[in-house]
Amino acid sequence: MKLKLLKRILAAGLMLTAGSAFAAGELHIYNWGNYTNPEMIAKFEKANDVKVTLDGYDSNETMLAKVEQGGSGYDIVVPGDYMIAIMIKKGLLEKVQPNKMSNFKNVDSKWVDVYWDPGREYSIPYQWGTTNFTVDTSVYKGDINTLALLFDPPAELKGRINMLKDMNDVINAGLRYLDYPRCNSDKAQLKSLNEMLVKAKVNWRTMDYSVIEKLTSKDVDLSQSWNGAAKRARKDRPELVYAYPREGFTGWMDNVAVLKGAPNLENAKKFINFMMTPEAAAMTSNFANYANGITGSESMMNEDLVSAPEIVMPASAPAPEFVPPCPQEVTDLYAKIWTNLNK
Amino acid sequence: MAEIATNPARPASGIDLRYQPGFTQIAWFCLAVLYAPIAVLVAYSFNENRSVMVWTQFSFDWYARAWNNEGVQHAAWISLQVAFLAMLFSTVMATMAALVTTRTPSFRGLNLSIAVINQPLMVPEVVTAVATLIFFSIIKQATGVAGIGYLIAAHTAFCIPFAYMPIRARLEDMDLSLEQAAADLYAPPFKVFRRVTLPLMMPGILAGAMLAFIVSLDDVIITLFVAGPGETTLPLYILGQIRRGVTPEINAVSTVFLGISVVLVTFIFLFGKNRQ
Repeated sequence: MKLKLLKRILAAGLMLTAGSAFAAGELHIYNWGNYTNPEMIAKFEKANDVKVTLDGYDSNETMLAKVEQGGSGYDIVVPGDYMIAIMIKKGLLEKVQPNKMSNFKNVDSKWVDVYWDPGREYSIPYQWGTTNFTVDTSVYKGDINTLALLFDPPAELKGRINMLKDMNDVINAGLRYLDYPRCNSDKAQLKSLNEMLVKAKVNWRTMDYSVIEKLTSKDVDLSQSWNGAAKRARKDRPELVYAYPREGFTGWMDNVAVLKGAPNLENAKKFINFMMTPEAAAMTSNFANYANGITGSESMMNEDLVSAPEIVMPASAPAPEFVPPCPQEVTDLYAKIWTNLNK
Repeated sequence: MAEIATNPARPASGIDLRYQPGFTQIAWFCLAVLYAPIAVLVAYSFNENRSVMVWTQFSFDWYARAWNNEGVQHAAWISLQVAFLAMLFSTVMATMAALVTTRTPSFRGLNLSIAVINQPLMVPEVVTAVATLIFFSIIKQATGVAGIGYLIAAHTAFCIPFAYMPIRARLEDMDLSLEQAAADLYAPPFKVFRRVTLPLMMPGILAGAMLAFIVSLDDVIITLFVAGPGETTLPLYILGQIRRGVTPEINAVSTVFLGISVVLVTFIFLFGKNRQ
């Protein structure tokens, strides 16, 4: 009895301060900051009479920390590929079975059987891209499609390189350059990787996330980069060319998924189905500047996006590799190499 | 901070630091380190192009963009709402706490009480943040109640010590003679409080309130963990932008908020001065 009364008082108190919603339903989306097209949200709101709230996070890990305890109040999250795998394992995602929804036919078949969600029982593609590097071709005129530019650079590029401050991106590129397997726990191979990275670091100017600023301010002439950032940097510095190294490179994909215990499950399912329409996917791409994995969306995408070599891979490039999360022992070894490299 | 502003009677200690060799240079160096990045941020908010590093031309474009950005508007509104309510609640509680710890005869556990009030200053913020997240998550799941009330409660909690310090400093500076005189003239205790104590401690309360407001406006870590759907504050909004690239729009918003902070700090300073 007492508890019930307390609940009511609490509810009344909190309701007073909570924002009121006039639409029939609600949907709470938690996505990376500056990654959701407001027009796309408006379209969904209008079609379904739903009031959407949108909040942004800065990393997969922030998002995980916040929703892991449950009761976060969010319905939709947009985790990266490996984070989907982790969240499914932890039982944090609702099995909404997008593969049985009416718009699933639009999902490009190559994005259905992915390692993080085989058969797409939990999630659908949102945006995908690659992590490579982009080079000013007026500074370096040779062949750019090789990782040697990062790890054994020609004289023109020495001291003119920015690497991403991201352990996996740097180490995986190093492993590919040495032709060693990913998720590597071979001590001898890691030792030579470590030596190679330490030697290469002498030629790096910075290790920083702010790729666009580094490139457009001409602080560096080559930067490891996500493809979307490379495209945006090219706008201000047209000599930049995005490389597709023949040794291989990392692909990544962010995916729309529903949290277990989502307060607005039905609306969340509607949103998943909506996000598989070519219109919604194109709107997202036009805003976020990445490819989306929904067939039929290209015709509605901005011309500069469809023709961008950063977004549309040339046929000669190898297929992007999606690296699953490595076992803890490997991550620990990587962390040692990474700490040593950052000294 | 506020204590310096409201406490001019520093004990004289033999030597005057201001006349030690190198004082001026060190002071200027520290000021430069503190303020140069802020000056750069402000300057680039008026830059015409997208880069936050290359200067091209003076313009108010980014201010206009920020003004028209719904995300920024919403986040700013949430920030102001939370900061205002947290300021209100924490100042009331801090005032009561300051009265108890200075205007009552010493009681057992007085020092303990002061330590508990100031606890949010001593515990690393991330510990408080995670603890609050788990605690609120349990409440939310048990009651099914959500809302911005949680965020305001969390902000109120960590704002209390900031509001408490200047109020207590003010009370400790006020000597008891006026209150005793009022009591001698048969004013009942509540009337003494209303007509004598409260007006005298007002500068301390205002300084404490403004400090609480700014601290709440600034907070990232606790807010990051506690904020629910639709409760993105401005600092969180800015944080969310970082991975996808910061534009001078953020500089513009930061400059506006810097302006608000400066105005408030100036007020605190003036209130501190008035009473001399």
